[in-house]
Amino acid sequence: MEKDQSRGLISRRDFLRMTALGIAALSGGGCGDLWRDRFQEMSPEEIQDLLKRWEERYKKRYGVDIRVKATGPMEGVLFGYALDLSRCIGCRRCVYACVRENNPSRDVQIQWIRVLRLKKGEFRLEDSEHYYNPESVPEEGYFYMPVQCQQCERPPCVKVCPVKATWKEPDGIIVVDYDWCIGCRTCMAACPYRARKFNWREPALPKEEINPDTHYLGNRPRVKGVVEKCTFCIQRTREGRYPACVEACPVGARKFGNLLDPGSEIRYILENFRVFRLKEELNTEPKFFYFFSLGWA
Amino acid sequence: MREFIRGMFNVMFRGGRWFYLWMGLLTLLLALGVVGYIIQMRYGLVITNMREQVSWGFYISNFTFLVGVAAAAVLLVIPAYLYHFKAIKKIVVFGELLAITAVVMAMLFVFVDLGRPFRLWHIFPLWGSPNFPRSILAWDFLVLSGYLFLNLFAVVYIGYTRYMGKHPDRRIIIPLVMLSIPWAVAVHTVTAFVYNGMGARPFWNASILAPRFLASAFCSGPALMLIIFQVLRKVTEFEIQDKAIFKIAEMIAYAMGINLFLMLAEIYKEYYTATEHLTPMKYLYFGLDGHGRLVPWIWTAMVFNTAGFFLFLIPKTRKNFLTLNLGCLLIFLGVWIEKGIGLILPGFIPDTLGEVYEYMPSGYEVMVSLGILGAGGILYTLLVRTAIAIDTGRLRHPEAPALTHEEEEGPLARDIMTKRVISVTPETPVEEIGRLLVANRISGVPVVDSDGRVIGVVSESDIIFREVYEEPHLFERVASIVLPPEYRAMKKTGAYARDIMTTPPITAVETTPLRELVSIITEKKIKRIIIVNEREEPVGVVSRIDIVKALENISL
Repeated sequence: MEKDQSRGLISRRDFLRMTALGIAALSGGGCGDLWRDRFQEMSPEEIQDLLKRWEERYKKRYGVDIRVKATGPMEGVLFGYALDLSRCIGCRRCVYACVRENNPSRDVQIQWIRVLRLKKGEFRLEDSEHYYNPESVPEEGYFYMPVQCQQCERPPCVKVCPVKATWKEPDGIIVVDYDWCIGCRTCMAACPYRARKFNWREPALPKEEINPDTHYLGNRPRVKGVVEKCTFCIQRTREGRYPACVEACPVGARKFGNLLDPGSEIRYILENFRVFRLKEELNTEPKFFYFFSLGWA
Repeated sequence: MREFIRGMFNVMFRGGRWFYLWMGLLTLLLALGVVGYIIQMRYGLVITNMREQVSWGFYISNFTFLVGVAAAAVLLVIPAYLYHFKAIKKIVVFGELLAITAVVMAMLFVFVDLGRPFRLWHIFPLWGSPNFPRSILAWDFLVLSGYLFLNLFAVVYIGYTRYMGKHPDRRIIIPLVMLSIPWAVAVHTVTAFVYNGMGARPFWNASILAPRFLASAFCSGPALMLIIFQVLRKVTEFEIQDKAIFKIAEMIAYAMGINLFLMLAEIYKEYYTATEHLTPMKYLYFGLDGHGRLVPWIWTAMVFNTAGFFLFLIPKTRKNFLTLNLGCLLIFLGVWIEKGIGLILPGFIPDTLGEVYEYMPSGYEVMVSLGILGAGGILYTLLVRTAIAIDTGRLRHPEAPALTHEEEEGPLARDIMTKRVISVTPETPVEEIGRLLVANRISGVPVVDSDGRVIGVVSESDIIFREVYEEPHLFERVASIVLPPEYRAMKKTGAYARDIMTTPPITAVETTPLRELVSIITEKKIKRIIIVNEREEPVGVVSRIDIVKALENISL
């Protein structure tokens, strides 16, 4: 965890918390936004308190037992993703697996993955179709390109955030502190991949559709007015599982692994196939690679 | 304290019918905005037309525009009056009050755009966790707050000292005012950099953005100031000379010329290279595949800006109040479109994955924006009324010394003139005048007729000219060549005062204020003004050195 100002500041934070509490009391209470819950500067004990508080809150809100974890990154791991464009059939199963896994709002719908349909022989995003809806896929003459957070090594979204509410974890995942985001949406303007989504209204999440296995920096239910994004399923991958989209893909187009492990599948792909990254000219250095394993598809 | 509250009550709530009507209208707008914002708080930003594709809209457009107004209100007004301390207290205060109002409105527009407005404190230094030095928005918040504080401090200080019947210390005011000039440039540049630094948005990622911001700000802010000056001049005792208004209009013309040039440079670059980066511009000016909601807006802006440019460039239309005000209106609206929706929206259209989502503000967004407009109008009206009440002494500490005439007008001619007047008659020989000047160490004398009325002035230079040019006038020289010698002989010049004196004499009365004397002397390029009584008899002389002494000795 990136703890930029953890120790030494605890007393200051306690003081600030008291101030915030005082203000909240004066203003008639209920102003949770005046409370200082900033994940990045909390001690492990404070984080445990915080997770408990949220589990109670979710219980009250949804009537469901939701587990909120804060599993840390593994030593020597840098996550990378590869997507085989020659195999993707554009079925959008990944999109819906992601929705089921990550507790986004169902109405308004928020989806972390967006699949673009492109005409064969062209590669212009402006000519891509986002709302293709045929009887069956794949369609003759087209190929498909799913886009989600590219987990850049040099993320422009993190750079522009005015309040340090989003950052890159040591395992390379860009996360958002939903309790610290002010909802200014500058990160959305800065992201070249449209990876960041905003809760324009109170997220509608039916309790029977909730995934109760959640991570504080990932798929725990969100609130109105904050930004969210793909976290490579941080709640799964930090426990050694695959992201939901990888598991859901019926054609095996999605590959995931540790870039630092020479024996990993992702390293095999980088070393044996021709890969490219989206908008590489912007120097964002995504850890999301596209490749073609088949010449004829 | 009771006195102060009563005074402020009068300022805020007492006025004529027009005042109540104006304030009523603004309050109505404000109420509309409050209702809109309550609905937005309840349901979220979903009631706006912003979406994932276009994640900033009308609010941020207005924010951007208002930062320009705030910057330029100070930028153009202050340098024009810096040499004139008395004016700084009046005219510049109105500019700074406008800057304060515009910054407050700009910040309100950001506030209503936030998904979690009550977390805004996260950006405060020390209290929150501003992302320094990497986030330009964090910097923008800092420089905007600093700008607000700077201007607020200056006007509160001037207002307070005047309220207490004291004089503001120019050693405090001048540095503050000087600092606000580069700060205004910084405020605007940093705001431009927020957009400019995004590689994901080619429409904003052009180096020309910040210069264009400044150029267009120099148009919109002063255009608004010109209208405000005229209104103030009409409804209050505030004075501003036509000359100053025309000068500002001329400067707007140059700024608009630069703005249009930069715009054409940008259009050339995009259209001639015609890369992928052209697409947002194409959307803006001509539409993309049937999507063209911004097209009528941007062309309106182009026509308004160009028309305003010519209205202000041509002296005749610049100096006609009808066309002048029309120009102000055109330029203000033109820049509002160009730097508002015309700048923010094409950054998002098409979006980073090539989708075109057409945005226009929703009814709620318009409501909330009108509310902020109302709030700004109320704030500025009350600030200006307070400033005027303090200036005229209606709002004043009960124990403060009474407002003297001098304080209102500055010293008058009778306070600073040299009272011992040596005058000559038209028949006084030039040699004698020369002796008079030398003996009395003066540089000129009034010439009076037999009734004692001033009819001309003989100065050192009149005498020198006579020595250098025996026949000073071109006509006379031509005549001397063309005409037969007997005519030439008739014209023997320079023997007496009447032959060399300057007529008509430039005079002023005893109650003419210093400020006016200064402008007469600089305008007519003369060295002294003869002060006359009601019978036009000379009672004193104000020479340049008298004015210098007056400006040095008295703290205005």
